[in-house]
Amino acid sequence: MCMGNCLTCPIPYLAISIASIGIKRMYSKPIQKKRLISQLIFLFITNAAFIFGVTGLIYGYFYCWESPQATMSCPIGILEHAVLESSIFLAIYLVGTIAVIGTIFGRATCGWACPIGFLQDFLGKIKLKREIKISKIDRRARYLKYVILAIIPFAVYYTASMAYTNLCPVGGLTATLPLLIFHYNQYTPARFFIPKMIILALTIVLIINIKRGWCRYLCPVGAMLAQFNKISLLQLKFDEDKCLKCYNCARVCPMGLNMPYEVKSGECIRCGLCIDHCPTKALKFEFKWK
Amino acid sequence: MKKFIVLLISIAFLLTGFHFAYEKSKILNESRCLGCIAMLPKAISFHKFWIEYPKNFHKSGIPQIPSWLLNESKKNVVMLFFWYKGCDPCKAQWDDMVANNIVSGSESNGKMTGNFSNITLISIDIINDKLGNLLPIYTPKGKPSETPTTVILFTKNETYWYAFSGKADGIAGRPNISQLKKILNLAMEEKNVHG
Repeated sequence: MCMGNCLTCPIPYLAISIASIGIKRMYSKPIQKKRLISQLIFLFITNAAFIFGVTGLIYGYFYCWESPQATMSCPIGILEHAVLESSIFLAIYLVGTIAVIGTIFGRATCGWACPIGFLQDFLGKIKLKREIKISKIDRRARYLKYVILAIIPFAVYYTASMAYTNLCPVGGLTATLPLLIFHYNQYTPARFFIPKMIILALTIVLIINIKRGWCRYLCPVGAMLAQFNKISLLQLKFDEDKCLKCYNCARVCPMGLNMPYEVKSGECIRCGLCIDHCPTKALKFEFKWK
Repeated sequence: MKKFIVLLISIAFLLTGFHFAYEKSKILNESRCLGCIAMLPKAISFHKFWIEYPKNFHKSGIPQIPSWLLNESKKNVVMLFFWYKGCDPCKAQWDDMVANNIVSGSESNGKMTGNFSNITLISIDIINDKLGNLLPIYTPKGKPSETPTTVILFTKNETYWYAFSGKADGIAGRPNISQLKKILNLAMEEKNVHG
């Protein structure tokens, strides 16, 4: 049982050691090193209510505001409340937040800031004995996140409840489980507990089997941000003259994109792995006003 | 130019939303334990029947009870009911109180009924209410899991109150609905004898 004395507990030291080895391997390339620093900073900012307090800002990525140290509000939670309250200003606030982030960075927050993306980067590294063939359904399944995003307002309106939150696996992982573990004597499971845990387990199976499976198929915040990828200031620039057609970029793309021909795709999370693995630097980031 | 216009419109949306909805967003974020994390909060710290305010509960940063509420609690026993649309535990608690003839009407327009009609009901929609955010007064610092749905308070010499989170169902430290009735009766009795 946890006695709350973290400094003498072997578990964090063990976890840090294992994570360090994994991190060193995963983030050896130049852009990836920067990305790791960014992900760690955002992981801290996301869970730093003990320093910054609880604010009314909205996360530019998917994270649960019921998480014990969450600093900001969940975009999907705000969407649900905007429908429940018929609050146009909550909706405008959400659209404004996502639009500003999306117009500047596109889906880069998925790759550089989102703690769930960070988690997927690790879980995606687990080697499986058998690789799952997903190419046939992959393209079509990507529309699922847009369908989920479109259904949420109707589900909330017709059930008059936080329909998505009740089943949200991100909430299950970042709020329900931590609260249950660290405050086990303060909570009792409610009616959505079991369905939520089943969905969480299926989601973890998905992201272990398919790189960035959550971002590809299910994340409704990713679906919002994806709309801005084509027009965002931050773009991936492809120089065809330099390209050797080695397709290293396509091989390493965690979103399974047909790089370098889909640099403007709504699915690109701007992680920079393709840039790092391009032998001729035919790909690069650029801020573009035109 | 196109990107610049989109960015300007986005910033206009963000600033408008921030101006009108930041506080709502903050209150929703602060009241996280009333939400839907697939768990219900226990109320273990409220095992002591009445909690005296502020003597036994005072820590720096805990707001004072506003004077209008203090005055009301001097006149009558008061039941505060905290809720918002989409809060399942709040709704379950309200529906149960209606079914047991403690209150009638809806959360936004309800009143005490039957034997409890002498009690003042103050129903607070935590997102939209103009009465101010009273939740921090009754939420133990650092324990958002104990944010209450229901607070019963009265004043003898000091202000005494009883609170619980979620639905009164007799589970995990919360009273059940018949115990809630006893608490309300006891409050009225205390008020009449000592008030």
